[in-house]
Order: sequence, then C-alpha cells, then structure tokens
Amino acid sequence: MKFFSFKAYLVLGLLLVASVSAQEAQKEKLQGMIDATLDVIYSQTYASLSANEKQLKVRQKLESSYDLDVMIRYAIGKNWRRMNEQEQLEVLELVKQLVLKAYVIGLEGKDRPTVTFGELTEIGKARIEIESTMVLDAKTYYILYRLRQMDSGWQIYDIVAENVSMSSNYRGQIDDHFRKGSAADLIARLKDLLAKDQINEDTKI
Amino acid sequence: MKTQKFKQPLAWASLIGLLSVTNLTAQDGKLTEDEAFFFEEFDESAGVYDPFESVNRLTFEFNDFVFLNALQPLMDAYTAITPDTVEEGASNFFHNLRYPVRLASNLLQCRFKGAWIETGRFAINSTVGIVGILTPADDYEGFAPIESEDVGQVFGAWGIGEGPYLVLPFLGPSNLRDLAGFFGDRSINPLKEPFSMIDDWKWEWQLATSGTDYIARSPQIIERYNQLRGSSIDPYSSLKNGYTQYRRGAVSE
Repeated sequence: MKFFSFKAYLVLGLLLVASVSAQEAQKEKLQGMIDATLDVIYSQTYASLSANEKQLKVRQKLESSYDLDVMIRYAIGKNWRRMNEQEQLEVLELVKQLVLKAYVIGLEGKDRPTVTFGELTEIGKARIEIESTMVLDAKTYYILYRLRQMDSGWQIYDIVAENVSMSSNYRGQIDDHFRKGSAADLIARLKDLLAKDQINEDTKI
Repeated sequence: MKTQKFKQPLAWASLIGLLSVTNLTAQDGKLTEDEAFFFEEFDESAGVYDPFESVNRLTFEFNDFVFLNALQPLMDAYTAITPDTVEEGASNFFHNLRYPVRLASNLLQCRFKGAWIETGRFAINSTVGIVGILTPADDYEGFAPIESEDVGQVFGAWGIGEGPYLVLPFLGPSNLRDLAGFFGDRSINPLKEPFSMIDDWKWEWQLATSGTDYIARSPQIIERYNQLRGSSIDPYSSLKNGYTQYRRGAVSE
C-alpha cells in the first residue's frame, strides 16, 4: 500500500512538474514569436516587402505559433450567435486582418522596440499571464499576454496594453454595434476600414 | 494480498479518472469547455454607464472634426519644424510644471513613496535638468519615472464612483469623477486659476501657456488617436471602453 502511495505521489509530482515546465515553455515560445514578427517589420531581410506583404508575413509567423481565431472569437463573445456561418467566417477573417494591419502600421517607421519578458503567473484554471515591457520611442509600455490551454494547445486569448484589454475593447465595440446594427453592417464597416491604405486615412466615424 | 491486488488497479483507475474528469465535465453540457470560454463575460468591460450617449457621440464627432482639421495640421507643422529633442524637451518641461498636482495626489492617497520619488525627480530635473527640459532623474537610482497621479485617481481611491461617461469638448473622454478631478488638478496647479501663485497672471499669458502645453502633449495623443480611429469598428465605443479600462486600472494600482 505504501509503495502504491509513493508511486501515486511520484506520478502526481511528475505531472505537476511537467505542467509547470510546459507553462514556462510558453514564455519562450511567445518571445520567439514576438521576435520573429519584429524581424519582419524591422529586419533588412524583409525591407523590400510592401506593407501588405509584411502584414501577410507577420500573419504567417503568428499563425505558425498560435491560432489567431481564439483571440478574435473571444473578442466577439456571444455576438457570434448573431451571425450565420458565412458571416462568422467573414468577420473572423476581417477582424484578424484589421488587427494585423494596426499592429504593423503602428510599429512601422519607428525604431525597433525592445521587448523584455517578466513573470509568468497562473491566473486561473488552465490560464496564464505573461508580463512584458516594451520600450518604444523611449517610452515604456507594460503589456500582458494572457494564454489559455485550449484543445489545440496554449493559445493567446487577450493582450492587455497599459491596462487596456484588447479583447475587451473589441468586445465592447462589437456589443455596441449589435445593439443597432447587423452582421452585414459590421462586415461592410470592416471592409471599409481595410480598404484604407493607412489606418487613419479618411476613416468615417 | 488479494485485497492489495484488487485495490491497486482500482486506485490507478481513480487517478486516471481524476485526471480525465475535466474532459468529462466539458462534454457534459451542450457546449465544450472551449466554446463556453468564448462566451464568457469580461470583468473589464462590465458596465460603462453612458446615459448621455447621443450627446457624447455628437461631442465626439465635434472633437474629431477639430482634431483632424485644426489640431492635426498644427501638429504636422509643429513636428515638421521642431527637432525631436525640442519636442521632447517641451513635453518634459510642462510635465515637470505639473509636479504639485502629482505630489498632492500621491499624498492624498497616502502614497508617500510616490510623493518622495516625484519630489526627488522634480528637484533633480528642475536643477540638473535645466528647469525640467531634461530628465536626468531617470538615471538616478530610486528616481525612475512612475505613473502620474491626479485628483481624479484620488477620488477613485477614496471610493467615489465614476459616474456617467462624458465626452468633453476639446478635452475628450472623461466621466463625472474625472471632470471633478480636472477642476481639482487646476486648483492645485500653481500656474492655473483660481489659485494661481503668479501675480498679474494675464489671461493672454495663461492662454499661451495652456496652448503650448496642449501642443507639446498633442503629437503623442494625435498618433494614438489616429491609430485607434483607424483600427476601430466603432471609434466612439473603443475610446469609451479604452478610457474606462485605463482609468480603472490606474485607480486600482
């Protein structure tokens, strides 16, 4: 009996260690992904790419590590049920493009930021938060990456920059949109935003 | 011995059962765990009280017009003719002048360490940093920049609620508590009325100082605003949500 208990504790202990090291591995994976995307924006290797090509390349780098649908689905929340299957897919794709466009254009033309990763904290069942600081144009920004273990593995579901949660911000906008508008209006709005060359170009508010 | 043999596989089965209980629970309802996760509510977005939305949206559109047609061209000219170091120096100078607001706000929240750091930074930057144009305090151990405190945050720390969300002409997003805080900031600021410490502080000079301060701060604000505007499905809603989250975070810190 004692021998069994020892083995059980050993197995549980090993599982715990494996779980902790799997979480820690997420930090390295995240760091690698951020570096890879910054390389696309700043490295000489990709200097000849157009803005659209860079966005595509950044997307490839991101999607090789994480499923971006998770973050967008989380941002859409219950509004997902207000759309039919085709609209769901279209909105998922368009929001993804918009977020990537804002990310690339937001960083382009500036010096490469220095990103430092800090502590990893378990914030709930199968959820972790990874702290980071980004120094951009001599200003320091605090950014948290929130990850959850999904069926498809650890996925980023939210990015919190300076206390502002990106998923929550988009959820608030989409909630407000669906109070008065339809899925078709949302798709039209997203297409309109993506049609602009610059993110601030004559955007109708 | 027989009992032992019987118990051992049973115990292992229990252990395996325990480990797989999560999956069983997930399949129990109509939604999988992943699906349920996508539909969960946010704490951060819970309730931005916006009873004046129609008026706020109009003010937002007015501000947007002013930003793009008056402030943006002014900023473009300012950033084009002013070297980055001068822009940064001007921004630092006006930030340094707001020290009394930050000091009082720290003290009113019993943040004595914050008050000490702000005082040290003010002393170093005002002297070594030539009236606050430079920020040599950044290099002094223990005097690294900290988050700015204001009277709105003090009210929040005292437990006063946000009140309704407001969009103020020219000033942008706010709420009733922060509007009261704005007047609190002014009353502490020795350069602003009604308690200005400067005699014969003519309105022309006050306007010029406030205008220059506004311009010095604007390039960053305009850049962030443009990014928000272009990446938002509903810029009004995005700013409302972003502002509220930011302020709630600042108060809770």
